[in-house]
Amino acid sequence: MAEVRFLVSKYNSETDAKPRLQEFRLDPPQGATLLDCLNLIKWKLDGTLSFRMSCRSAICGSCAVRVNGHARLACKTQAADAVIDGRVTIEPLGNMTLIRDLVVDLEPFWASVEKVRPWLVPDDSKKYERERLQSHHDQLKIDAASTCIMCASCFSDCNVMEVDPKFLGPAALAKAQRFVFDTRDAEKWDRLELLGQIHGMWDCTHCAECSTRCPTDAKPLERITELRRAAMAAGMTDNNAARHVLGFRESIGGFKGIGGSGMLNENYLPVRSMGLSIGGILSLIPVGLRMFARKKNPPLIPHVIEKVGEVRKMFRRFDEYNKEGEK
Amino acid sequence: MITHDVVIVGSGLAGLRAAIEMAGKVDVAVVSKVYPSRSHSGAAQGGVAAAMANSSDDSVESHFFDTVKGSDYLADQDAAEIMTRDAPVTITEMERLGCVFSRDEKGRIAQREFGGHSHPRACYAADRTGHALLHTLFEQSMKHKAAVTYYSEWYLLSLIYEEGSARGITMMNIRTGELEVVRAKTVLFGTGGYGRAFKITSNAFACTGDGVMTAYRAGIPLEDMEFVQFHPTGLYGQGILMSEAARGEGGYLVNGKGERFMDKYAKSKMELAPRDIVSRAEQTEINEGRGIGGKDFVHIDLRHLGREKIIERLPQIRQLAIDFLGVDCIDKPIPIQPTAHYSMGGIPVDVDCQVITDEKKTKARGFFAAGECSCVSVHGANRLGTNSLLDACVFGRRAGKAALDYTLSARHESVNEAAELGKARKRLDALLSTPETESANDIRNELKETMSNHAGVYRGAEGLLVAKAALKLLRERFKSVRVTDKGKLFNTELVEALELSNMLEYSEIIVEGALARRESRGAHARTDFPKRDDANWLKHTLARKNADGSVSLGYKPVVITKYQPEERKY
Amino acid sequence: MRYALYTGCVAKGAGRELLTATTYAAERLGIQLNEMKDASCCGAGVVDDDNRLLADSMNARTFSLAEASGLDIMTICGTCQGVMRAAQKKIDGNPDYKARVNAALLKDTGRVYAGKVKIKHFYQIIHEDYGLENLAARVTVKLAGLKVAPFYGCYVLRPHEYSDVKVPDRPDYLEKFIETLGATPVDYPEKLKCCGFPILMSNKTNSLQLSGNAILGAIKAGADCIVTPCPLCQLNMDSYQPEIEAILERKLGLPILHYPQLLALALGATLDDVKTNTHIVRPNKALHEASD
Ligand SMILES: Cc1cc2nc3c(=O)[nH]c(=O)nc-3n(C[C@H](O)[C@H](O)[C@H](O)COP(=O)(O)OP(=O)(O)OC[C@H]3O[C@@H](n4cnc5c(N)ncnc54)[C@H](O)[C@@H]3O)c2cc1C
Ligand code: SF4
Ligand code: SF4
Ligand code: FES
Repeated sequence: MAEVRFLVSKYNSETDAKPRLQEFRLDPPQGATLLDCLNLIKWKLDGTLSFRMSCRSAICGSCAVRVNGHARLACKTQAADAVIDGRVTIEPLGNMTLIRDLVVDLEPFWASVEKVRPWLVPDDSKKYERERLQSHHDQLKIDAASTCIMCASCFSDCNVMEVDPKFLGPAALAKAQRFVFDTRDAEKWDRLELLGQIHGMWDCTHCAECSTRCPTDAKPLERITELRRAAMAAGMTDNNAARHVLGFRESIGGFKGIGGSGMLNENYLPVRSMGLSIGGILSLIPVGLRMFARKKNPPLIPHVIEKVGEVRKMFRRFDEYNKEGEK
Repeated sequence: MITHDVVIVGSGLAGLRAAIEMAGKVDVAVVSKVYPSRSHSGAAQGGVAAAMANSSDDSVESHFFDTVKGSDYLADQDAAEIMTRDAPVTITEMERLGCVFSRDEKGRIAQREFGGHSHPRACYAADRTGHALLHTLFEQSMKHKAAVTYYSEWYLLSLIYEEGSARGITMMNIRTGELEVVRAKTVLFGTGGYGRAFKITSNAFACTGDGVMTAYRAGIPLEDMEFVQFHPTGLYGQGILMSEAARGEGGYLVNGKGERFMDKYAKSKMELAPRDIVSRAEQTEINEGRGIGGKDFVHIDLRHLGREKIIERLPQIRQLAIDFLGVDCIDKPIPIQPTAHYSMGGIPVDVDCQVITDEKKTKARGFFAAGECSCVSVHGANRLGTNSLLDACVFGRRAGKAALDYTLSARHESVNEAAELGKARKRLDALLSTPETESANDIRNELKETMSNHAGVYRGAEGLLVAKAALKLLRERFKSVRVTDKGKLFNTELVEALELSNMLEYSEIIVEGALARRESRGAHARTDFPKRDDANWLKHTLARKNADGSVSLGYKPVVITKYQPEERKY
Repeated sequence: MRYALYTGCVAKGAGRELLTATTYAAERLGIQLNEMKDASCCGAGVVDDDNRLLADSMNARTFSLAEASGLDIMTICGTCQGVMRAAQKKIDGNPDYKARVNAALLKDTGRVYAGKVKIKHFYQIIHEDYGLENLAARVTVKLAGLKVAPFYGCYVLRPHEYSDVKVPDRPDYLEKFIETLGATPVDYPEKLKCCGFPILMSNKTNSLQLSGNAILGAIKAGADCIVTPCPLCQLNMDSYQPEIEAILERKLGLPILHYPQLLALALGATLDDVKTNTHIVRPNKALHEASD
């Protein structure tokens, strides 16, 4: 490969006011990963460069950094694939406090994971001499989440995390999925209850940064949607977000004999989401009035699609779809 | 000074398993240079052995025999028997704690074939078994957080060991650079192996034998250090492991002439012969010019397994080969070579993991060790695949129980905090104030080159003497090694220098042990003494540090209870 | 060029100006649109939170409707585009799943999704089918001097495996588009981030904070307005700008345009033609000047 300019973040919280990008020039050997490059920089050009690493085989989760602005495992990224116009920028993970160069304080990340009580609570009503049985099919439901290597890439790039440090965050939610769906766990309902609270699974915006950055099959957003489906299926709908989902279901597909429109009813939805909360409904008034004033408010008589019967029919078999989808 | 009842160093399988055994019963601290989930145990791929007999008529007896035979009869049979007997209950416990195992059609833990095992005995979680086990214990560690104090990203500097008793440790907070003394009634090491001293290695950067060397410097002898296992399927150039599961699932080893060469070396077991045999077969093919294109690698071919099986059973292997070599094993064979993989040797312990300090098996009070850093010895001269995760789990558990018993009736002994801190400080200051002429990187590279060339798959007196001389020079050069980072926060350059000092010193012990052992046994293959010699060498090496820093060797008998040594054939 | 126009819900509801602008622009460009009056909501990722097979089957129904008409689908909403493409890729990528989707679809609607239809957002059609050079030739009003901050919206970009954008971490189609119209794209750190809309009902503060950060970022970079291919982003950033101002404790006043609005302006539409008077944030001086 030709010479590459590595722009690497350097910072020492004891002495520096803020991080700066330092340039290192290096001709990465054939097949070198970014971790190989960071090591070459450290060993040959600047011994003071500090970063975490251990396994160099994408399994320990230590070496996540931001490459050209996005979280990745340095050891899983070929240098050649990261070069843009002869340059690679390497910075520390986001959403955490910087300690040194590429090293951030991971405590908030571990704390988020701990919040979901990430250990099996076995159903011990029966005494087992041997291992508990779990079908291959059931095991597959927790397989993806169990591949998480706790690299914090998702946590670093999660958009909600940026505005709400109390948000459980993607890794914790993916970890939680692994227990909610574990046939051996006795606390599924308590867990869903816990996850349904504010700063929990319903606070995720679907920005999909987590699944995009995740280097394993854990793919948190997928797991979050599985959790949400489980909560909906269990009827745990006493919150705005779940009511919002119900609002979709009802306005598209119909509700208690009233046919749905096949479309979203933007008047119904916000009100439905607030449930019986007077405060919630009152909070909708300013924006409602504002939109009304600009003739922006959705039509009062909802727009109904043609052949809406087909869609209503699908929604009438809601439970069957859910069951079939489970397979 | 911090005080705990027990301080465990290492948060891999062995350390965490021990901690859980004691959590809530005594005041336990776990010290580790990485966060628990990042310990090297997580990298283990293929499986963990236990005669669960889920898919065959397997028995503990058979597992016991396979282990002893695999060890080339150097294993202590009392220990091997305990390990294989405890295996099913230990694995069942891990399952009960939540470990996500792959399952068979009856919903039981799935089991597969593994080299050297006569039955499908490897319980597995796809090809990330170590990860599944480690994360299960990591989860448990969060559950027990109130009962166990974790010091993650702290580096062990020394063992405080006086008058036959361990009293605590000194350690450095990597994050802040601060030094601390921990006083404890009991010290337990689960610090892992020492495979980093070789050029091609499957081991993580962290596997630098720190615990082993810390014990050695404190006066504990080390057992069987010359036995280092080379795994036959390291990714070419990198050494990153392609799990034995690749062979377990039916992969072929092929040389430059397109031959499945294992039929020349182990006709009945073929690719599934034990690792030492397969690694030597590969090395012989390579040495005799039958590598791929005459080069220093051969192929593992998985194509005939088919896409589906590869994706379901070997997903991680496939991904590694894609990420690191750009080879998708669904349509191409993967280039591989032998890679340094496992440390059979380590801190000598009895079957309850209490450290022993001499040929007479005198026990060290308050000092325990388990997992790869220890030598019980269940693996003897060659460990069977899937037996080391088992070792770490079984003996982590036993160590926890034994250490708990010990601790309950022990008391804290005196520690001179100022003196201990002073010694630790001095060691660091020496590194930080050297003349700065030598590059740590150069020394490390030369060390690895030396060890791979002269103390690798094959060894001979001539090469070992060259290595000995080279190591002496390297250690001399290390005295003026350059540590440019003088800061306190996350000074990884300093940590790497400490690790390098360990690597240099244990390499010397490996070479001395290998030079002395004039026979070939298991992973130790002498070109000049190609035969096993039970009359003279059916014994464990004990290496001890002399006052002048040199190594002296002693020996301790092998425990033979049931199986008399016979020739190993596969 | 003819497409089946999938309007989505917003263009029929709180964002009717989007449909107006789309119709205007398509006419000027000679792109024929057949509105899919029988298509349902895409589910917006929300039905997926409820019932995956239903959400995907509902979309498969929409695809089969387009297939029956022989036309490819044009979307005008980033969320619809992302959701429908994801559904399509999931279905196409897994024959077993496709069979289940089709079995359900057949049972309830008598329809079957074959897998032929292409789904493209208006922006993709401009880029890939129409061509920016062609567009440049049709631009009548050079929006010279106007500084436009592109805001992509999550759904067309992520997860990468479902995205049609070539390098979703460094997309440039909006920038190129803005340049083609004679305006100047401005870069800012939030342009690929989330607007927060999906959690507006459940955590308004977080939702609006996200939009607020984006608006602030664009303002700091000197933007006169934001343009977005997703009407949900538009809705959050425009309709709720007064609340956002309250959260950020500062005035913002940044107009948020739909992609087709900016396009229509460059093709000769007046601000009234694209109904910016229905926006909560009124056009500012720069927008007036540029479009005059
Ligand atoms: C790639 C690979 C694949 C493997 N696959 C298998 C397999 O399929 N089956 C099998 O049975 N075995 C396998 N093994 C071997 C097995 O993984 C290990 O032997 C076993 O996990 C060791 O566990 P441990 O707890 O003893 O040590 P480790 O997991 O290595 O843990 C060591 C701990 O000590 C800590 N430590 C070390 N030095 C210090 C210090 N100075 N200060 C503070 N803390 C320190 C570390 O932080 C770490 O927490 C494999 C090994 C490798 C390299
Ligand atoms: S999809 Fe949800 S959890 Fe994932 S990064 Fe976005 S907001 Fe965070
Ligand atoms: S979910 Fe993925 S990105 Fe997040 S910590 Fe786990 S492995 Fe890393
Ligand atoms: S070094 Fe372990 S994941 Fe990269």
